Amino acid sequence: MPQPSDLLLQAVRELSAKSGHDFQSSMEVVPNTSLFVVHAKEHEFRAEYTVSSGVLGFRVPSNYPDASPEDSFFIVPVDVKLRQPDAVRQSVDLNRAGRAEGLVVGSALGNAPVLLFSWHLWDRSPWDRRKHTLFDHYTHCIRRFELPEHD
Amino acid sequence: MGLNERVTPHSASKLAEEIHIAAERKMWDDIVRNLHAKAPNEACAFVLTVPSRGVKRATVIMRRVLWPTSGEVQATPFSLEISADYISRVMDEAVDAGPLVGVCLIHTHPASDRGPGKGSFSPRDDWYEKRLFPTLTLGRKEAIAASLVLGSEGDVDGRIWWEGTEGVEMQRAHAVRIVGSRLEIIETPSSAWTDHTDPKVMDRSTRLWGKEGRRRLQNLRVGIPGAGGTGSLSLFALATMGVGKLEVWDKDIATKENRHRTAGVTASRVGIPKVRALEALAHEVRTAAPFEIEVHEDWATTEEGLRQLKDCDILFCCVDRFAPRVALNDLAYAHLIPTLDMASWLHRNDRKEVDALMTHAQVWSPGMPCAWCRGTLSSYKLMREAQGRQQAIEKRIPYGLPLEETEGAEPSVLPLNMLGVSLALMEFMQVALGITTRTPRDLKFTLPEWELDENDLVTNIGCDCESNIAAGDTLAIRPILLV
Repeated sequence: MPQPSDLLLQAVRELSAKSGHDFQSSMEVVPNTSLFVVHAKEHEFRAEYTVSSGVLGFRVPSNYPDASPEDSFFIVPVDVKLRQPDAVRQSVDLNRAGRAEGLVVGSALGNAPVLLFSWHLWDRSPWDRRKHTLFDHYTHCIRRFELPEHD
Repeated sequence: MGLNERVTPHSASKLAEEIHIAAERKMWDDIVRNLHAKAPNEACAFVLTVPSRGVKRATVIMRRVLWPTSGEVQATPFSLEISADYISRVMDEAVDAGPLVGVCLIHTHPASDRGPGKGSFSPRDDWYEKRLFPTLTLGRKEAIAASLVLGSEGDVDGRIWWEGTEGVEMQRAHAVRIVGSRLEIIETPSSAWTDHTDPKVMDRSTRLWGKEGRRRLQNLRVGIPGAGGTGSLSLFALATMGVGKLEVWDKDIATKENRHRTAGVTASRVGIPKVRALEALAHEVRTAAPFEIEVHEDWATTEEGLRQLKDCDILFCCVDRFAPRVALNDLAYAHLIPTLDMASWLHRNDRKEVDALMTHAQVWSPGMPCAWCRGTLSSYKLMREAQGRQQAIEKRIPYGLPLEETEGAEPSVLPLNMLGVSLALMEFMQVALGITTRTPRDLKFTLPEWELDENDLVTNIGCDCESNIAAGDTLAIRPILLV
């Protein structure tokens, strides 16, 4: 079973230092994948959510940084909604986010269901293994909290 | 201890069973042209070197030339005087470049009215180098130093020097490897190469590439990471065409499901390691004499596998995943080991017709674009592969679509694999034997076009493959643990 590489653990430490959140990496990959789970337990969400903070994380391949982090991120609890219906979609469900099972198995989150966001993280400037860091990935993720919900 | 007592240049010390000195083609051509331009005088230059330590072979790789400046070398047709300033400057550069970095002294023996200059060390060379190399190697136990002498007719001799427990040690080099879009191997007087014991067996192919080509095939060591569809066919072909040394890696066990596309997996060999099935096949079909095959029941990109790969002259990359290609691509450029990468892919539509198919063979070698430059490797592809059975989960779950778990196994058929291997074998003949004047970068066959095409992608500006050329063991190549 692969262990997280020194490069990945170092990248997680740097992410924690730069973001101000205590991120940690799972010590084993999610079964049937080569992905480690990187998450912070107490991360603020956007003000419009029914829950103000919780888990925020994403999955990172064992061969990071040659391989990019996944084009998605997740939060817990899974039942987070909007306080007010989104004006465009007329719904309190979070846009392009859905309940996922089996996403974080092997991490400190156990087999908890998560709310997975599809998010175009690296479509405009592709991941550059020599330049980009987990902090770049993280800043892409939290951009989701700053843009309009229906975007 | 006096200087002479510390030096044992003809001792039985061995750093490795085989010793190579290697250079990237453009650098080598520059060195040879510039030094021979000083004829009728002798000429010399120092080159910074890096080691490439395999299991059986140690290679000293030339990394950067430090040309002498005016007055640093005094030369006549039969002698050289190298100034202390030049030696000191070179030592400083080597120390600054890191503990693995050594120094190679290259000098010429030009032609004179006595005849051609011989590419072999003279007694005066021995006398001088015995005194020089204790200084160049002192306190640098991880570095390997070297010396080369270039004759006027392309003949070369070489030796390496290192600091052993008893002082400086020396071992003669067996070959000089020059690597670009083609692989040239110059045998030194210490070469251990042998010709085929029964050349008549090879008559029809010798008519194409000559005795020299036959001798090269007989003595090349070709590595094959991956003993599946393409690996087994590659091994079958290489053993049949007279390659004398083969090495294969794979951890899988042969199953009955492998049989329809894998050479060597007969009904009686189901259940044994794939590499053992191929070992048996190779002994049945081989034409080289002598012949040796070494098989490893493990993946080639483990830490030990990466060390074993450095013993090879050429690799056939027959792995079926992207992740190990990262390491093999790095190895090709950093350790100057030309690698022929094969990949096949086919897709069928709902009507069970093949609507897209591709097989390609690429050459990864200095002077040729690497797997990243060609798009064979990308961070996105590696991420997708890492998702395994949860592939593209982010495109389904957030939209309420069920995850369709996939084991990632695509259709695979022997004709397609065989075509890819054949393209790679054509490239192998070019890289190893120089059957034409140009090496194609990438040969690709596609359906539904029914086209065989050469990719026109070039090396990306600032690509790692350029900066990593000849980096040897100074480049950390991460082992890939496959699950």
